[in-house]
Amino acid sequence: MTDVTEPLGPDEQHPPVERGSGAGAATATEPDLGPPDDDRGIEQYLHTDRFPHIWCPGCGLGTVTAAFLRAALSLGLRKDRTVVVGGIGCSSRAVGYLDFGTVHSIHGRALAFATGIKMAHPEFTVIVLTGDGDGAAIGGNHLIHAARRNIDITTILFNNMIYGMTGGQASPQTGPDHQATTAPFGVAEPAFDLCRLVEAAGATYVARGTSYGVRQLERLIRGAIEHKGFSFIEAVTQCPTEFGKRNPPKSPVAMLEEFKASAVSVKAARDMAPEELKGRLITGLLHKDEEVPELTAGYEAMLARLRAERERDGEGGS
Amino acid sequence: MELWYTHLLRETIDQDSLLVQGNRASALGALDAGVRFFAGYPITPSSEIMEVMARELPLVDGVFLQMEDEIASICACIGASLTGEVAMTATSGPGFSLMQEALGYAIMAEAPLVVVNVMRMGPSTGRPTTPSQGDVMQARWGTHGDHPAIVLAASNVADMYRLTMAAVRFAQRFRMPVIVLADEIVGHMRESFSPELVGRYRLTSGDFDFTETYVHPERVREVHPPHELGTLLHPHVTGLIHDETGFPTNDPEKSAEFLRELHDKVVHHRDELCLYDVKNQGGGRVAVIAYGSCARSARAALKLAEAEGIPLEVLHLYTLFPLPVEIVQEVARRVEFIIIPELNLGQYAREVRRMAENWTTVISMGRIDGNLITPREIVDRAAALVGKYESA
Repeated sequence: MTDVTEPLGPDEQHPPVERGSGAGAATATEPDLGPPDDDRGIEQYLHTDRFPHIWCPGCGLGTVTAAFLRAALSLGLRKDRTVVVGGIGCSSRAVGYLDFGTVHSIHGRALAFATGIKMAHPEFTVIVLTGDGDGAAIGGNHLIHAARRNIDITTILFNNMIYGMTGGQASPQTGPDHQATTAPFGVAEPAFDLCRLVEAAGATYVARGTSYGVRQLERLIRGAIEHKGFSFIEAVTQCPTEFGKRNPPKSPVAMLEEFKASAVSVKAARDMAPEELKGRLITGLLHKDEEVPELTAGYEAMLARLRAERERDGEGGS
Repeated sequence: MELWYTHLLRETIDQDSLLVQGNRASALGALDAGVRFFAGYPITPSSEIMEVMARELPLVDGVFLQMEDEIASICACIGASLTGEVAMTATSGPGFSLMQEALGYAIMAEAPLVVVNVMRMGPSTGRPTTPSQGDVMQARWGTHGDHPAIVLAASNVADMYRLTMAAVRFAQRFRMPVIVLADEIVGHMRESFSPELVGRYRLTSGDFDFTETYVHPERVREVHPPHELGTLLHPHVTGLIHDETGFPTNDPEKSAEFLRELHDKVVHHRDELCLYDVKNQGGGRVAVIAYGSCARSARAALKLAEAEGIPLEVLHLYTLFPLPVEIVQEVARRVEFIIIPELNLGQYAREVRRMAENWTTVISMGRIDGNLITPREIVDRAAALVGKYESA
């Protein structure tokens, strides 16, 4: 089994930039996987000394975080070659419990931080954990531009359809007919279809899962990390405290049951009429394109071309 | 010194010196100081810095990124900085406003970073191609909360080069953002410029010999060890108040201690950070304290005053913050009047007044019509003050 807790040797403490080397996930040695539902394995990726975490009882954020960690474990992600960036909000607080290189950045800007990190060190595996308020409202512009650039960052957007940390205000994902502290008479605006948004913007791996379908979510996240390009996973999850109490069903179990009932696989959705799909959550891998050039690889190719030109010119001059 | 004018030399193959634009000089100074990461967004009158970086950085295997806005630009720079890259961005007033939240993050997370703000008239869109010094207080207090600031002000093309270098050095050493203020005149003017000429601009406060340690400076470890993502050293970075482990704390004692340390690392190094130049020291009853393009007028005014027998001395400040308290007070003790010409309504005059009013009379000479303050105006003001004093 890959020992992800082993620190780097002294000679490796300040590794040089290995642009486009694709280290990290791809070069980690083959992990010896335990059963996927055995959560003990992911503890090595957690600062368990920081527990208890801040999330409420019944919250789905831990479920999604655990799915990410199991995917990370199955890929043998190295702690010293993986950087996880969060924004601000309940979901982004996950980074404070993860034993990777972690950045708890500012509201909405996690993807901008991550873009800088990935461009500076393309060999890192860069993951962004964000929420629907953080990623789709204040950070919406960065989301579409990161997708457009097709930079090799995996973004997991925890969509609980509410601002939880600030006390239940409406997010762009709250959607019509729902209530929030800032929408006491209901929301008049439609929500984004985030997956279609990022696909249109240029993301090359787009998937949706729920905190009910954790095995599926784990597979989707694993595929996203393996994918070279901008990967986006919308993880629909329950917030019983702030969303549930104003928008029945109230209990976490009832909310999960609702996800189960409304989820429909990509495959099944193909045979369904648009009216049948209304209000349903289409889950699974929605879009994947391996042909589009990835940003850091493209940038490295440009640097290599310039280096070659310089060498050629240098030789010509001598 | 081979390292620090490599880029300039590439341009001066056929000439001993050449006309270099201020913005261009800033970019070259950054490159020579070791900046290898730039993320920016176009804005007048600073865009040339970005354009030079776009062209030069790929040639030294650096990273250039044009981001979707100024917020993304500074955040990308902070991200790169946290991995150990030497990062910089450049902007003007409106963009600088957008960067303020992230500047606070960089202060809190102790991420080295250089931000060049080529000031233009404001507020809002103002007059984009007109010089101003209206962002002095924004540079000091733009981001929320109690925080330290290191702010430098460039007055000519050589300054743009060497102060950008100094900013890189200060940022790395004190592990925080450093702001270089220029104004539209300094950014867009072209002056005769060569490495030798840079060396000739000696400062009273001393050391502008950029040795190698300035390019790869040792880090100050007075607060917390530096972040280096990609190693297992101090791997968690947050904008929350945190303790020595890097993790958040709500402990009142630790919170106060941490914020105090952020301040102290700047304030306790005023000797090193405060760059200045005194002309005609002790020769005047009136001192002109100036920075940026107004310092050029002040220096020229000195010559006029000399010819006309008006007792004047000039304190040219290159560092606006931390406040050069001792330096200003020393001048204040020996003159009867201090006048501060600046292209705003007295933003820095207020600071000088706070430092100097126990010893002398401080007079603001602000101008906000988009024109420069001329040497003649400064001399006339000084003459009137002295004359008024004599007749009293």
